[in-house]
Amino acid sequence: MSALTAAVSSQSTITDAAEAVAILVLLSEFAMLRAALSRSQVRLYAFQSLSVSALAVIVAATRHIGDLYVLAGLSLVLKVIIVPAIVLRLLREVEGDLAGSHRLGVASMVLLAIALSVFGIFVVGTMPIHSKSLPVLAFAVAAAVILVAFLLVIVRSDVVSQAVGFFSLENGVSVASLVLAAGLPLIAEVAFLFDLLVAVVVFGVLMRVHHGRTSTLSTRTLERLRG
Amino acid sequence: MSAVLVAIMVIPFAASLACWWAPAGLAKALTLTAGVATFGLAVGLVSSGRVATALSGWLRVDSLSLVFLLAVGFLYTSTAVFTIGYVRPSGDPLDAARYSRRFFSGLNLFAWAMAMAPLVNGLALLWVAIEVTTVISALLVAIDDTDGAIEAAWKYVLIASMGLSIALLATLVMYYAGTSALGSSYELFYPKLLGAAHGFPPEVVRLSFGLAVLGFGTKMGLVPVHTWLPDAHSEAPTPISALLSGAVLTISFYAILRFYQVTVRAVGPAFPRDVLLVFGLASLVLAALYLASQRDLKRLLAYSSVEHMGILAIGMSFSAPVAVVGVLLHVLAHAAAKSTAFFGAGSVIRKFGTKELDRVRGGVGALPWSGPMLLLAVLALSAMPPFGIFRSEFLIVEGGLRSSATALAAVLVALVTIAFLGISWYASQTMLTPLPDGVLRGETSNWMVGSMAIGLGALVLLGVHPPAQLSELLARAASELGTTR
Amino acid sequence: MGEQASRRVPFVLPSPNRPHGLMASAQVIALRGGGVSGIELAPAEIQVLQDLTIFAFAPFVSGAIAHFEARLQGRRGPRILQPYYDIAKLFHKETLAPEDASWVFLACPIIAFACYLTVPLLIPVLTSYPLPLGYMGDILGGGFILALAGFSIALGAAETGAPYAQLGSSRAMTFGALVEPSILFVTFTVALVTTTDLPYFEAAAVRSSLSQVVRPAHLLAAFAFFLVVLADTGRIPVETHASTLEFGMIDEARTLEHSGTPFALLKWGSAMKQMILYVILMNVFLAPWGLAGSRQLGSVLLAVPTFLAKALGIGAIFAVVDNSFSKLRLFKITEFMAAAFLLAVLAVLVLYLSGR
Repeated sequence: MSALTAAVSSQSTITDAAEAVAILVLLSEFAMLRAALSRSQVRLYAFQSLSVSALAVIVAATRHIGDLYVLAGLSLVLKVIIVPAIVLRLLREVEGDLAGSHRLGVASMVLLAIALSVFGIFVVGTMPIHSKSLPVLAFAVAAAVILVAFLLVIVRSDVVSQAVGFFSLENGVSVASLVLAAGLPLIAEVAFLFDLLVAVVVFGVLMRVHHGRTSTLSTRTLERLRG
Repeated sequence: MSAVLVAIMVIPFAASLACWWAPAGLAKALTLTAGVATFGLAVGLVSSGRVATALSGWLRVDSLSLVFLLAVGFLYTSTAVFTIGYVRPSGDPLDAARYSRRFFSGLNLFAWAMAMAPLVNGLALLWVAIEVTTVISALLVAIDDTDGAIEAAWKYVLIASMGLSIALLATLVMYYAGTSALGSSYELFYPKLLGAAHGFPPEVVRLSFGLAVLGFGTKMGLVPVHTWLPDAHSEAPTPISALLSGAVLTISFYAILRFYQVTVRAVGPAFPRDVLLVFGLASLVLAALYLASQRDLKRLLAYSSVEHMGILAIGMSFSAPVAVVGVLLHVLAHAAAKSTAFFGAGSVIRKFGTKELDRVRGGVGALPWSGPMLLLAVLALSAMPPFGIFRSEFLIVEGGLRSSATALAAVLVALVTIAFLGISWYASQTMLTPLPDGVLRGETSNWMVGSMAIGLGALVLLGVHPPAQLSELLARAASELGTTR
Repeated sequence: MGEQASRRVPFVLPSPNRPHGLMASAQVIALRGGGVSGIELAPAEIQVLQDLTIFAFAPFVSGAIAHFEARLQGRRGPRILQPYYDIAKLFHKETLAPEDASWVFLACPIIAFACYLTVPLLIPVLTSYPLPLGYMGDILGGGFILALAGFSIALGAAETGAPYAQLGSSRAMTFGALVEPSILFVTFTVALVTTTDLPYFEAAAVRSSLSQVVRPAHLLAAFAFFLVVLADTGRIPVETHASTLEFGMIDEARTLEHSGTPFALLKWGSAMKQMILYVILMNVFLAPWGLAGSRQLGSVLLAVPTFLAKALGIGAIFAVVDNSFSKLRLFKITEFMAAAFLLAVLAVLVLYLSGR
């Protein structure tokens, strides 16, 4: 092991590790797109949030920002434990309505998602935005995750998928914030997290009310208002 | 001065807490008191003429934020008056009590969040305040618990939250732009940002502004991200619709204006103006077309809101300062006019029991006060003198002509006329037809009439002779938005 | 298979081949005189040795994997050398062709076999340095020749007019087309890293430091290629390797109409194709160690068992995957291909972004 660490410079390992975690974030977004069961979507979201917290720890370690450790811990508790617990509890109350529904076929969705990611990555690549601690990949991954999250909300027609899509959008913005604003004062970061919690509660309330009225989690009944 | 700011922060929040335990009557009184107090305090700030700060810089009110604070305060007051007449106990008393408790504390909390947005210093807290308004108003939209309300609330919270995530990204990108001049850890306070903005990297600031218009434009009702707006406005209870249209859209516009301030100092006025022009034109065109084919009274008014937001955006794209003054006056006048229109719609719906435009006939006859006032409000929205909107739109068009954007000014006037045709067709159909049988003549509630009178009075005041201090305030705010590098 | 009228085809059979590459080299050594160690082989000889290794050991690897798979399932399994016996048996059987088939039907297995003999010249089987003919074609060229082989087999199957053969042929062509973009993007990954797409240089890049193996782009590309090989060698979750259920067959169905020597060539060729794909997967992406670094006879000869060990190792992994998952329904195979494509695209994007 010591030979390995001697052979490989630590800086590039950390960059590689950050790259790998960023790719995991993007891959879990794609997996969410494809996941048929809402429960597995929520678990993938928890995994994605874990990866984002890991990225936060990496940034905190390389740039010696103590606040970010606190932030990583808070976001871990909130996004990996609390939010999935809330959604999973709602799903448990709903029996027999666990499988989501796609408006497009899976292969078309994946191709569309690939096209969107490539678009996002190329657009971001032209921006003069460089983080001191994370590779360029991280911001590109954030842009791709945001675009694919939009796609997720559009092509899935059940309430839980759309909510999880919104939460993963938030994850993408978190990764972007690690690149753009690692030094943002802790108060602002905590305010953002608290806001997310409140939004999750409201989402949960509305999902429950919707299920209470229509006994289904599908959004097909939510398409009556037009014009 | 700082005490006033803290008071504005505390009063609506305290009212909200108190309404949770108060019976309906007391809650209504508390809401009205809080509204009057907030508006009064805001008016008091007008005369000082200086920038007020409080809580070691976390709260800050300059002329620009004061304009929007005035709008929020006014709407708070008139809505409070309206709800006294609108919220009536019906059905099971336990349910009614629970409804009114949730409604009033939600209403006060909503008003608190909306008042916080122009009050706080800094882009980060601004975003938090607007996100809180989204979350609270989503619950309020759903409070009536009908199918349509749930659908509207879900769409609203989903689309608005996603838009606000984009706005958060915009805030972060702006933060990144600032790190080059302000170091890697700083607060996003306005004076610091505006002072250092000329040194920001232009590409990054452009990206930030584009994302901000897209993100906050979602909550403002700019096409093409306005899709939640007609549903939410039509399915929410009427006072909530009035607050959504008059205040929430305006506060989101305020957020865009803050980004505009920074962007203009960083990259010059041309780029932000172009972006606002594109979105404004799209909104105006779409609204004008959609206004021609509506079936629902409140949806009609919702599209009118989209139209007016488009006018605001186009007004900002003109380079003459008089256009900016017009835009700010329009913010105030539109708040008054749209709320009056929604209150009138609420009276009509109460009277006739339906929102459908086909089924409402003889409004003027059935509602001897609200009917004509609703008609006046609709005409005011279409820029008829002597109401405030005529003055503000006149200023905007004058600004357009002065900044040699003659073609755009002409297009603006043409589209506004088309919108007027649409909305006045429906207004005349519903209001000016003879009273059908079986509908009794008489007002449902004097309080509802009173709120409309307040709104119309303010409109006349703004249109005929705006107070001198108000005009000074508008001029100061316009210069704050100016293009000095 | 025998329902259609057939005609006897006179066919001259060569004697069954035995692996004698080592003996040929031994003859060379005997002719030259001198000790075994320290002999340098000419590049052309190494090239031939590469081809012979693949040619000779492909059925061995195939048989070993089948035996291992049977053990995984709790059976005793066939002999490891069984494929050799099968091929020998087939060479002695008569060759039948459907009535309506033309000479193309008989030529196609030979074309395919020729392609499979050509590709080992281009890829790093035994050596880590490029051999003279190795520059003849890059990965794209190798891929093209493999595709040509697949195409000719499918053409032969389509020739027959038999329903199952045509079914298999059309399916194979469709899924082959879906696999192509993934292969292309994996090639682009290689090209982005080394600015050429000669597989030798990618292997050298991977060997240069251990950290290269765990670079995210590299892992993504390797995994994408793993999925591609899974699809191309006809393993679950794409196709059931050992069943005779025609409705699920893709590659297997193409060879239903052949018999005798052409069929022997087809079986041998498919074993060789499997081995070639393993070579690319192991010696370019995952484990490019153990290749001969010089032209010394000792090191080259040592590379043969190393290579066989690696091929058996990856074959064992494929066998485990085969037994762990269930076969995908036919229309879900597009999802599988999309996933492989996704990983390949991501690999390219990651490399593009990291600029390395």
